[in-house]
Amino acid sequence: MEFKQLVGSRRSIRYYQPWHPVEREKVQTVLEAARLSSRAVNADFAKAIVVDRDSLSDEDRDSLKTPTTQAQLDLAPVWIFWYADLDAPKVGESSLKLLVDAGALNPSHGWSHAYVDEVVWPQVLTPIINNPGVLAVVVCVEAGLAICQSLLAAVDEGLGTQLTAFNSEAAKPILQVPDHWLPLWIQLLGYPAESPDGGGQRPRGPFEEMFFEGRYGTPFRRDPAVVEELKAARMIQEAAPHPWRQAEIRGISRMFGLPE
Amino acid sequence: MEGAPGLRPDDLAELGSVQRWLRAYGAFWGETSTADEVLRKLQLLADFCGFCDGTPDDLVDSLFRQTPEGPRIKLKRRRAVMAQIDEFEREFGRGDMTVGREAGNVVRSFLIHNGVALTATPLR
Repeated sequence: MEFKQLVGSRRSIRYYQPWHPVEREKVQTVLEAARLSSRAVNADFAKAIVVDRDSLSDEDRDSLKTPTTQAQLDLAPVWIFWYADLDAPKVGESSLKLLVDAGALNPSHGWSHAYVDEVVWPQVLTPIINNPGVLAVVVCVEAGLAICQSLLAAVDEGLGTQLTAFNSEAAKPILQVPDHWLPLWIQLLGYPAESPDGGGQRPRGPFEEMFFEGRYGTPFRRDPAVVEELKAARMIQEAAPHPWRQAEIRGISRMFGLPE
Repeated sequence: MEGAPGLRPDDLAELGSVQRWLRAYGAFWGETSTADEVLRKLQLLADFCGFCDGTPDDLVDSLFRQTPEGPRIKLKRRRAVMAQIDEFEREFGRGDMTVGREAGNVVRSFLIHNGVALTATPLR
């Protein structure tokens, strides 16, 4: 799928074909996309555990649900538990020097092994690592970048996908999660039982209230011609709900015996 | 299975929680249910109320506690009610899962449109 269309086509899918397994190579592709995300200090902030829904006992599966995530967790065949690794930046001293050696951080921009050893590691990274509040923000943002790529990769593979909440306390012993992993989301994978466009592009706030130019309060001017180009490229798509969306929701709900 | 004595569909229709449900249901689905459909739903809700020995308003009230920040859901109580609905479904269906689920989902719909987030295990 072309990139602009891919961005415009991603939806949080909440109805999956429970009988349709996800090919292992597609799951790997989703993980590979996450691995290649932009990240600070070239550290592996995002960690994930892939779980086959049907490999869990009924008791374990039920313990992971929240009241509003029960249905989609039962429907999606593959669950990826995403975590942010609080220990990830500890590799910063060596991982930054690898970037120097790889020609990514260069003397043209002031980078050297000495700068990493004498300034960045002791004066920048170590204080961040020792400040739990700042560290949590950093690892969550960095892991989020990886998860975003995995979402787009899933759509590119023709899958439905969604981030959803889970009972992280229940998950910890089941998945044997280390203490330094911060729970984030479950990413569901499966083939959509609803239309892949989810009944239309979701409502968003006005562009001009989100993005500014020069200073806060001066909206970034949105060029209608660009909007039209993005519509043609399918990045901006028909807004939800399509006229038939209610009928679709009702039909799927009745097929799976879900409440209305 | 029959509702508790004194609980008839016509009585339920006057209750605040029931009116809220029917209004919200109609607003979401963009339709007005027929009188027969409403009667059928009210009968099923009355059956459930008889099953758990309460009124619809009591049922909704029992799921929230009032706080200065507004009503908060009682998590344990919600789990208990979800289990009650599952049990009602089994008893009502008498082996017919579809019939039982239809009945259970009327109760779930009533609670959902009164702000109690819950769902059912998908049939698959």
